[in-house]
Amino acid sequence: MTYQLDLLDIQGNVLRAYGRFRYPAARYVFFNIRDGAKGRAFVAALTRRVTTAVQWGEGPDKLPPPEWTLNVAFNYQGLKELDLPRESLIGFSPEFVAGMKDRKDILGDDGPSAPEHWDPIWQHNRETREHDVHIFVSINGLMPLPKDAKPAAVQAAVNDAKARVEAGYRWLLEQVAAQQGGVALLGGHRGDNGELLDYQDVQAVLENGVPTSKEHFGYTDGIGDPVFEGVPYDAERINGRGKQLANGQWAPLAAGEFLLGHTDEALEYPPAPSPLLLARNGTYMIYRKLHENVGTFERYLDEHGQRYPGGKELLAAKFVGRWRDNGAPIVKAWDDASKARFDADYKAADGHGKDQLLSNFTYDEDMSGGRCPFSAHIRRINPRASLEFTRDEQDPAKVCGAFSVSEGAFDTPGALANRRRVLRRGLPYGTVKDRSRDDGNHGIIIMMLNADINRQFEFVQQQWINYGNDFKAGNDKEILLGNHSQSEHFPSKAVLQVDPASDDAPYILPRLPRFVETRGGEYFFVPSLTALRMIAAGTVDPT
Amino acid sequence: MSNIAGKAYAMNVITPIRWYTAWLNKLIFWVALQRPATLKGLITLSLIHYARWVIIGRDQFPHVHPSQPRETLKYSYMLFFSNFNGSWDQYVDSFTFAIPSGLDMFWKWNVRYSKSVSLTPFHKYIRYNQLDTLHYYNAYPLATSNDVKSARIVKAKLLDFDSATRDASDDDFAKQYRTLLRDLQHDLGDMYPTPIVSMSAYQVERRQRWHEGQLDGSKH
Amino acid sequence: MGNLSGNAYALTVLSPIKPGIIADEQIAYADKVRSILQGWNGLPNSPMTAVPQTYLCRYFVLDNVYTESQPGGSAPDTLNDWLPVVPDWLRRAAMPAHDQLKSRYLVFSANVYVGPSGDIAPYLRGMWQAIRKEVESIWQYCYGFDEVKDADGFAAYIQRCALPASLFFVGSNDEPLPEQLKALYIKQQFARFAVDNQGLPTATLRQNFQAFMKQIAPHELATPTWEPGKYRLP
Repeated sequence: MTYQLDLLDIQGNVLRAYGRFRYPAARYVFFNIRDGAKGRAFVAALTRRVTTAVQWGEGPDKLPPPEWTLNVAFNYQGLKELDLPRESLIGFSPEFVAGMKDRKDILGDDGPSAPEHWDPIWQHNRETREHDVHIFVSINGLMPLPKDAKPAAVQAAVNDAKARVEAGYRWLLEQVAAQQGGVALLGGHRGDNGELLDYQDVQAVLENGVPTSKEHFGYTDGIGDPVFEGVPYDAERINGRGKQLANGQWAPLAAGEFLLGHTDEALEYPPAPSPLLLARNGTYMIYRKLHENVGTFERYLDEHGQRYPGGKELLAAKFVGRWRDNGAPIVKAWDDASKARFDADYKAADGHGKDQLLSNFTYDEDMSGGRCPFSAHIRRINPRASLEFTRDEQDPAKVCGAFSVSEGAFDTPGALANRRRVLRRGLPYGTVKDRSRDDGNHGIIIMMLNADINRQFEFVQQQWINYGNDFKAGNDKEILLGNHSQSEHFPSKAVLQVDPASDDAPYILPRLPRFVETRGGEYFFVPSLTALRMIAAGTVDPT
Repeated sequence: MSNIAGKAYAMNVITPIRWYTAWLNKLIFWVALQRPATLKGLITLSLIHYARWVIIGRDQFPHVHPSQPRETLKYSYMLFFSNFNGSWDQYVDSFTFAIPSGLDMFWKWNVRYSKSVSLTPFHKYIRYNQLDTLHYYNAYPLATSNDVKSARIVKAKLLDFDSATRDASDDDFAKQYRTLLRDLQHDLGDMYPTPIVSMSAYQVERRQRWHEGQLDGSKH
Repeated sequence: MGNLSGNAYALTVLSPIKPGIIADEQIAYADKVRSILQGWNGLPNSPMTAVPQTYLCRYFVLDNVYTESQPGGSAPDTLNDWLPVVPDWLRRAAMPAHDQLKSRYLVFSANVYVGPSGDIAPYLRGMWQAIRKEVESIWQYCYGFDEVKDADGFAAYIQRCALPASLFFVGSNDEPLPEQLKALYIKQQFARFAVDNQGLPTATLRQNFQAFMKQIAPHELATPTWEPGKYRLP
């Protein structure tokens, strides 16, 4: 029997990356609760408008997509201020209780990423009661279908989406006003000119007025989002996004990897607070504001693009594992000929075909990293089955820079990856006005969802992004997101492997600068609709 | 306490075995020794410097002096010592994800072993029976097992290259140097201090630091 | 023999600690041992850095055998699930019994290079010679240790306290420690060389390589190399 989720009980942002459903703009707003009872009344008002994961469309059990979505989450302090019983509070995970700032040493948020450089809202969070972030609200605006495909029409549609976000925001402010000081909006998000804004705006990067799924470095984002059991609108997206099986097939991941109250890949319920109704269908969300040093990126890419034998665009593709023009995975398009083949196939494919071309691949033919380097973004974030690898090291003379699949070594080929997956949501913020400068207001807001922050998000961040031992790369970090060393004495580098059968030498990226810096963030809990109603009513009772 | 020394974690686990089934464990270990394929998962994970299993019969605790009372135990015991890279969670998790049946094979006959799947009971089983190390010494705190293995390869390749290219032409030297780098393209990872493994370990490390220098590496 | 894997040796030592008390410190011998070992963590580096051929080693005090257990899960338990006729007393009779050690044990577990001879005694004699004072400071509280007067005596005593391993897994390698350390040094240096010399003309590369080989002196184990137990690169 197919796995069923209660779509009306799960918040819509958990199962949907809204950007993919024609919501190209959003606003994130944060609140401080001044009075518990009024805070609960505020939550009650929001809950009635919260967007669920219900199927959109016409027909039974379906609803039309809303003009603007609304989703809600709380951090630990927020749940405390809403007067959740202590017995429930102690059931949340230690890292959630501690918060992102406290975990900076685990996350590698040091140097320019350290909390003292974060946006004021995040700097002040968890310092004083009055400035603590408690509630997260997100509003995404639906883009109407443009009249035609001309840029002017598309631009108008994008503007409509933004206007809808504004409408949602006005509604939200009315709910705040209704509580007469019981809930305060927290400002302190840095804007374009260093001014402080009351909210964090995000929107898809436009190319000639048309929204793209690219971020400011030019890479397509969010292709490899995991697919798990019971999500009806992902049924055709399993290949390449679920878990890789020994027979070459793909299966959806267990729901409990992303939703509390469901069994996970270890056949058990993930640790969760009690009562069950508080936890079930809820999940943890990691909110992170990442500034992109566009100037540094462009300079580094230019400098090494001139020296790198494959040229600048191939080098850019090596950083991430995907080509910047159409997102082609480099394991499928590793040189001019294969890229041309991919492009032709891609052009000819329908929507589903395109999606499969981008997402459905393995590293089985690239165990040595000659195509996709071991430190490339997508290989580090989701190594698929590539960590079941080995080489014969008994005789050094036989070692040749090649690895092969260590067939049957693990219970399942993706054993080391399947429990480290995270759902990724979010959009870019700001615009790049000068590609030679770092100091503009541009980056991405990334929101990651998982059932266990420590096992999933923090592990990937610490072990795979900021460290490389699982990839036999010592301390070498992931190229794009790694917290590269600021020390002259111990600079960071990355090795771009080559085909072991070729006559080439690997290219080493020396003295990697920080391309991305953390500007704030926090750990949140995204409750189910049932839990929201109980929190609002003050009836959560683990007795 | 000091379960951590640089990039290595010292795990000690003691678990009871019924005295009359201890031979089964010994047999399994003997088979594992004869058939290296049984250890393929461990080798592929490549997280362990050295590990051992010691079975102590219930009347085999060392007795070294007439005045020492002899042990009278109901069970025999299995002691497991491991030197692995990463944090406790990372290690235990990687093992249960990757080689659950291998773990079960070694621990199956231990009293009340929970099996390696599901994860939480297995975590608890190990935690309940884990003995903390007081003092842990590691000759190469900056190196993982991967590094130790790859260092041997780097050294050998480098010496071969050196002797093979002494009299080579410049072109040949360049070609062979490319080959050297290509052969070693997975062996050039830097060995810098490890990211901290857990916040609690970090707290302890700050209080009882017995390695010279600063934790943040700012003192060079 | 299970203790040996190639040239590497798994030494597992359980030395029974006498039940005495140091009256003026109000501390039992076993707790004193524990406290001394904890004190080693506050030194600039471990005394074990001075003991040749020690890859990794650890010390702890075994107070008693296992402390806790999982509920349920034994055969009568499963039978009880299947067959309601299996009485509950039978299920409970299979629950783990309490076991009590009569002595507390100092546990010393080391992974060391012993070479082709497979004999651990030379290592132990080396340990005595290197850190006799530290060895005596902890082992003095153990049964039978007062008879140890010299390196041979120590080696013999430790071997009486040693237990055989059923399986010894060597995941790194079994080279002598100075070889391992030298190789690690070379690996780190060569990675840096590869970065610094990327893209240089062959003639320059060649020149630099010769200088590099001279500088790292690959056949000199003593220096330059990594010192044992170093947490920071120079």
